[in-house]
Amino acid sequence: MTDVVKMRQIEKAFGANVVLKKVDFTLATGSIHALLGENGTGKTTLMNILTGVYTKDHGDIEINGAPATPASQQQIAFIHQELSLVNDLSVYENLYLGHELKHYGLLRRREMIETAQAFVDQIGIKLDVTTMVGDLNPSYKQITEIVRALMRDAKVIIMDEPTTSLTDVEINDVFKMMRTLRDQGVSLIFISHKLNEVLEICDTYTIMRDGVVVSSGPVTPELTEVQLSNQMVGKELANSEIYQPRPLGKPVLTLKGLTKTREFQNVDLVVHAGEIIGVTGLLGDGRSELFSAVVGATAFDAGQVLVNERPVRIRTTADIKRYGIAYLPKNRKENGIVPDLNIEENMALPILGRLSRGGLIQRGQLTATVQRYVKQINIKVADVKDVIGSLSGGNQQKVLLAKALCTNPKVVILDNPTQGVDVGAKAEIYHQIMDLAKTGISFVILTSEIGEIQQLCDRVYVMTHGEIRAELPHDAINERDIMLVATGGQLD
Amino acid sequence: MTNTQETSASEHKHRSLKGLIADYSAIFAFLILFIVAVLLKGSIFLSVSNIMNILMNNSIIGIIALGMTLVIITAGIDLAVGSQMAATGLIAMTILNATQSIFLAIVAAVFAGLVFGAITGGLISKFGVPAFIVTLGTMQIYRSVSEYYFDGGGILATGRSASAFTAIANTKLFGIIPMPMIYWFALCILISVIARRTAFGRHVYAIGSNERASFLSTINVNRVLLAVYALSGVLVALASIIEASRLGSMNSASSGSGYEMDAIAAVVIGGTSMAGGRGTILGTVFGTLTLGIINNLMNLLGVPSFLVGAIKGIIIIGALLIQRSVSKEES
Repeated sequence: MTDVVKMRQIEKAFGANVVLKKVDFTLATGSIHALLGENGTGKTTLMNILTGVYTKDHGDIEINGAPATPASQQQIAFIHQELSLVNDLSVYENLYLGHELKHYGLLRRREMIETAQAFVDQIGIKLDVTTMVGDLNPSYKQITEIVRALMRDAKVIIMDEPTTSLTDVEINDVFKMMRTLRDQGVSLIFISHKLNEVLEICDTYTIMRDGVVVSSGPVTPELTEVQLSNQMVGKELANSEIYQPRPLGKPVLTLKGLTKTREFQNVDLVVHAGEIIGVTGLLGDGRSELFSAVVGATAFDAGQVLVNERPVRIRTTADIKRYGIAYLPKNRKENGIVPDLNIEENMALPILGRLSRGGLIQRGQLTATVQRYVKQINIKVADVKDVIGSLSGGNQQKVLLAKALCTNPKVVILDNPTQGVDVGAKAEIYHQIMDLAKTGISFVILTSEIGEIQQLCDRVYVMTHGEIRAELPHDAINERDIMLVATGGQLD
Repeated sequence: MTNTQETSASEHKHRSLKGLIADYSAIFAFLILFIVAVLLKGSIFLSVSNIMNILMNNSIIGIIALGMTLVIITAGIDLAVGSQMAATGLIAMTILNATQSIFLAIVAAVFAGLVFGAITGGLISKFGVPAFIVTLGTMQIYRSVSEYYFDGGGILATGRSASAFTAIANTKLFGIIPMPMIYWFALCILISVIARRTAFGRHVYAIGSNERASFLSTINVNRVLLAVYALSGVLVALASIIEASRLGSMNSASSGSGYEMDAIAAVVIGGTSMAGGRGTILGTVFGTLTLGIINNLMNLLGVPSFLVGAIKGIIIIGALLIQRSVSKEES
């Protein structure tokens, strides 16, 4: 087998900070290669060097046996987590964006549709290229992005955490496509924090830690997730039980018959003081819509929300603080990060008023509060006055978690709380949640990661098409039952 | 995010130095024009009376631009400030002539400004109408109603309080410093403190930067937007008092006409992003002064008045292109 990419002794420093130290990286033609490592270990930098976005300080890059040139680097496509598709254009228009087929300045629409459709059919994907991209589900957006790279003659495709916002069924669609491409001789680099997926789809792997490669090799049947994660973290991951049974208090948040047409129906749900509940299901289960209505971000049609067993009216998100509720929405970039504010202002955004005396924000108090959380949940920050964009994705997520916690809430609603967070940091966050729950704070965790639910939740609600279809206590939480209910089946 | 994800702290410090240059590009633009003015018209340009003249003439636009800065930081715009100024000024003069009370005149104007601003802010936040459309409408409404009511004419300060009223803007501190400049600088400090040091001010930036995230962070976005336009309305009303006092009159057709464009230009030259989230009061002050120097220099050089607009336009676009290239380098 030949190698399509060979990187040798790559070094890169930003200023005084050495990001890559003599990194070797090899990608075999027609293979799927996992690139693993915690946030901030240099994976993205390495890939940016491979594609020519950054220049290397030292080392060699060979593409198809020849030293890399800007032209050969063009054949490497980097598909980022935030997709670069235009939702208001159709699939084929996106595929041809910037490379439209024209005849005297007029678009050759029919030809573009036919060519694009033929191309898509040939790869074996069921996709009508005249569909609007905005109407596609997330997995097909991902697939469209890959097809675009292929149409531009990409030989190597780098996929940065492609599955984080996908449900299991959608992940299977993407994986199917990845396998097909591999068999056609395309090489793929798969960056992911989901180790079970790595074991499922990848042929080989490379693990990076602190700018060096700590291990690489073939993915064999003997390889386990624990082995991989231990190498990533560099120590035996205390695979200790995070879950601890605790005495629970009275109901703090109760939903009675909550209904919104076409989104969720007749939802009854209760959270007790100090309890951690999970809400899970597949895409379209309505869990995010449900809690977005609970916190006042959208309206609901019927039903009641009770806090401490008393009905409350939450008209807008600004009201939830009064009832001791905090909310961490999903999709960090759109719903969480305020790019023009610095780290400390992002974190303390909900409590800037509370930190003011005589109308002026008390800067000292602000920094002290923020520093407390930086320490408590171990956020890797050089200076809390830096822009939020200077943090890695996982650390940004921790800032947002701190933002939810800093209001001193009684109930914390977390939607996809470990999005883009690496294994080590995930465990830290879980421990934090468990510790806080012991002090009587309640958590509602909306997630599709079953492992997350198993490690944390006292109870889990499984939703399908906007309805709660099952409620499992901690001891009964298992992947088989959850998937059975989520896909519309019945428990015995 | 993915690109900056793994950059180091030192890289970041390095970048923020360039960011500093981008942040203060308005000051550089100002300095360059200042030097050009000195080279071309040294002694006349630098004379105390000329400098005071520039500051005096631009304090009204300067005050309007303060409110406009906050509005633009929320990713909004207010095209109505010019006609709003005429309307509040006419209200002030009417009350002044009727009651001979300067206090009541000012209160009435400020109240009217607050209401006008709140109407704009309410339409934008509550009903989600784009700011450009709302203020394109209110701009014409305020002007047209003013013209109708005063039959296209104006109103002159009359009666025993007239001289005291005109003294508001025409007095000079220590016989040199025109009072409008003092009002302007005092308001600059006030608005700058509000923008940087209050929760409200930070919420203004947050909303302009990511409105959705701000809303989900329990910020009452509608209330903040309403307050921003109301505050801008009050500043416009204060500017209208100074203008009315300076001239001793207010005209329904011509007063404030085109001021919205000068105010927006000052804000944008000052480095505030039309996309929202970024901008400083200091930048706007220098943006206003830059515009002021351009006008003054055209005057001193005897450029035909019909050509002043063209040269102003070229310099505004030029200043923005320089800024854009610096901030592009930064990102």
